[in-house]
Amino acid sequence: MEDLIVAFLRSGTPLVYVTLAGVIAQRAGIWHLGLEGMMITGACATILGIVLAQSVVVGLLAGAVFCCLLALLFWFVVEVLKANQIIAGLGLTGLGLGGTALALTAIFGSEGAVSASFGLPRLGPAFGAFGGLSVLVAAMPFVVFACWLLLCRTRFGLRLAACGEHPFAARATGVNPGTMRLVALLLGGPLCALGGAELAAGSLQIFSVNMTAGRGFMSFAAVIFGAGHPLGATLASFFFALVGALGIRAQLSYGDRIPSSLLLALPYVATVAGLWLSARMRGGNAASSRELGQQ
Amino acid sequence: MTSRLYPVLQTGAFILLALVLCSLIFAAVGLSATETLGAIVDGAFFRPNALAHVLRWGLPLLITAVGVVISFRAGYFNIGAQGQFYLGAICAAFAAEWMRGSPALVAVPVCMLAGMAGGALWALWPALLRVKAGADEVITTMMGNFIAAQLLVHVTSGPLKDPSGSGQQASSRPVEAAWRISESSGSSPVIIAIAALVVLLGWWLVNRTSFGILSGLAGRNPVMVTWQGAKVQRIAISAFVLSGALAGLAGSVELMGPNGRLASGFLPDHGFTAILIALVAGMSVIAAAFIALFFGALTSAGLWLPVMTGLPSSAIDIIHASIALFITAKAGVFRGLLARFGR
Repeated sequence: MEDLIVAFLRSGTPLVYVTLAGVIAQRAGIWHLGLEGMMITGACATILGIVLAQSVVVGLLAGAVFCCLLALLFWFVVEVLKANQIIAGLGLTGLGLGGTALALTAIFGSEGAVSASFGLPRLGPAFGAFGGLSVLVAAMPFVVFACWLLLCRTRFGLRLAACGEHPFAARATGVNPGTMRLVALLLGGPLCALGGAELAAGSLQIFSVNMTAGRGFMSFAAVIFGAGHPLGATLASFFFALVGALGIRAQLSYGDRIPSSLLLALPYVATVAGLWLSARMRGGNAASSRELGQQ
Repeated sequence: MTSRLYPVLQTGAFILLALVLCSLIFAAVGLSATETLGAIVDGAFFRPNALAHVLRWGLPLLITAVGVVISFRAGYFNIGAQGQFYLGAICAAFAAEWMRGSPALVAVPVCMLAGMAGGALWALWPALLRVKAGADEVITTMMGNFIAAQLLVHVTSGPLKDPSGSGQQASSRPVEAAWRISESSGSSPVIIAIAALVVLLGWWLVNRTSFGILSGLAGRNPVMVTWQGAKVQRIAISAFVLSGALAGLAGSVELMGPNGRLASGFLPDHGFTAILIALVAGMSVIAAAFIALFFGALTSAGLWLPVMTGLPSSAIDIIHASIALFITAKAGVFRGLLARFGR
C-alpha cells in the first residue's frame, strides 16, 4: 500500500504543477496546449543544468527561464498575431519536443537519453517509506494552496477570471486583458518548469527525448475536467495519476496475462473518460469559442 | 487578383517568420543556421532522385491532409489523424493476415477498405463524444493518438508479431510480396492514382456538394446553419468519419506500399504534418496537393540529414513546429502594421 502511495505521488506531482499552469492560463482565457512543450523544456533544462553546472539550482533556474521564454513567444503569437490558440499551442509543444531533441544532439552528439549523477533533494530517511520522494512533492500542497489563494481570493485572481470570461467587462474596469494574459502565461512558466523538473530529476535523474509522453496534454485535460478551478483540476490530475499508478501495479502483478502496452494506455483512456464525465456533468454541448481563419 | 494573391503573400510572410525563429533556435544550440537550412533545401530538392522521394513521402501525407481539410472546414479540430492513420494500418494488416493466399486483385482492395474502416472507427468515437456529450474533440482525439500508438506496440509485439523478427523495433509479418502496391523505396502509379482520386473526390465533395457547402458554413457559423434546418450533428459526424477514413487509407497505403509491414512507432509525425499541410493550404484541397509535395520534400530531407550531413533530423521538427506556431496568425495584423507605417 505504501509503495502504491509513493508511486502515485511520484506520477501525480509533475501533473499537478503543470495543471496549475494550465488553470492560470485557462482563467485568463487561453487554451494552453503548449503545456507539453513547456514541461519537456523544463525537464531537459533541469537535467542539463545538473549535468553541465553540477547544480540543481542552476537547473531549475534555467528551466524557469526557458519556459518563460516559450510562454512569451506563445503570448506574442496568440495575443499580438491573433493566431489560433490550439494550433499555436501544438506548435509550441512541437517546438519544445523538437528543441530538446536538437539540444541533446547538439551538446552530446546523439539523440537519446542523458542521466545525471544526482537529482532534486530528497525528503530523507526521517520520512520513512516516503523518504525517497523529492522536496517538490512535499512543496506541492503549498503551491496548490497558494494558487487557490491567488486565483480565488485576491483582486488579481478576480481580474484574471474577468479577462477570461468577459474581456470587454475587464477592459471597462481598466484592466488590459492582453497584459493579464501575459502575466498568466509567465506565471505558468516556472510551474511547468517545476513539473518537468520533478518528472526528470525527482526520482529518475534522467532525461530522454519525448519523455513527457503526453503528460502535458493530460494536464490540460485535467484543467477541463476540473472546470478551471485550481482544486478541481488538482483532484483531476490526481485521478489520472492514480490510474497510471494502478496500471503500473497491475503490470507487476498481472503482467503475464494482460499485455503491458495496453496497461500503459490506461491513463489516456482515463483522460477520455474524465472528459466525457465532465462534459456530461456540465450538460449539453460545451460552447467553444474556437474558430479557424478560413480564407 | 490582389484579393486572391493576398492570402498567399500572407502565408509566405508567416512562413518566413517561422524560418527566422528556426534560425534563432539553430543558432542557440550552436548550429549554423544558413548551413542547416541550406542542407535541408539540398536534401529536399537537390539530392539524386529527389522527385521519387518527394512523391514517396508526399502522397500518403496528401491523402491524410485532404481528410484533415474536411474536418477542419466543418469546424472540428480532429487532431487525431495520427491515431486514425495507425488504426488504418493495423486493420489493413489484420485483413492482410486473414486473407493470406487469396489473389491480389481481391486482397488489396479489401485491405484498403479495412484500413479506411479502421480509421473511420477511430474518428467515430471522438465524434460521438463531441456531438452527443460535448466532450472537447481536441483532447479526445489527441488521447486517441496515444492509445493508438500503444495499440500498435501491442499488435506488433503480440497478435501480429513476426516470429523471425529481430532487432529493437517490434514489427509484424511482411505483407505478401504480390500485394505490395509499390517498391519499398518510392512511389508507384497505383499510389499516384489513389492520391489523385482522393484529391478529385475531395475537391468535388468540398466545392460541389451540399455537404461540402453546409459543412464549410457550419464551421464558420453553426448557429446559422442549425437555424436554416441543416442537421449539424450529422454533418459533424460525417466530417469526422470521412477524415478518419482518409487517414486510415493513408495508413493502409503506407502498409501495402513503401513499408510492407507494421513496425511499432512508424512515421510518428505523419498526422501532425498532415494538419500543417491542411493549414498552410488554407483549407483548399487543390492547394493541399501542392503543399503536400513540399512537406513530403521536407520529410525526406529529415531522413537524409543525419545520414549525409550529420545534422540531427529534429531540425525538421523545429521547422514544422515553427510553421504551426505562425500559420494561423491573422491577416489583420499586417494590415494594421502597414497602416501604422503609412505603407
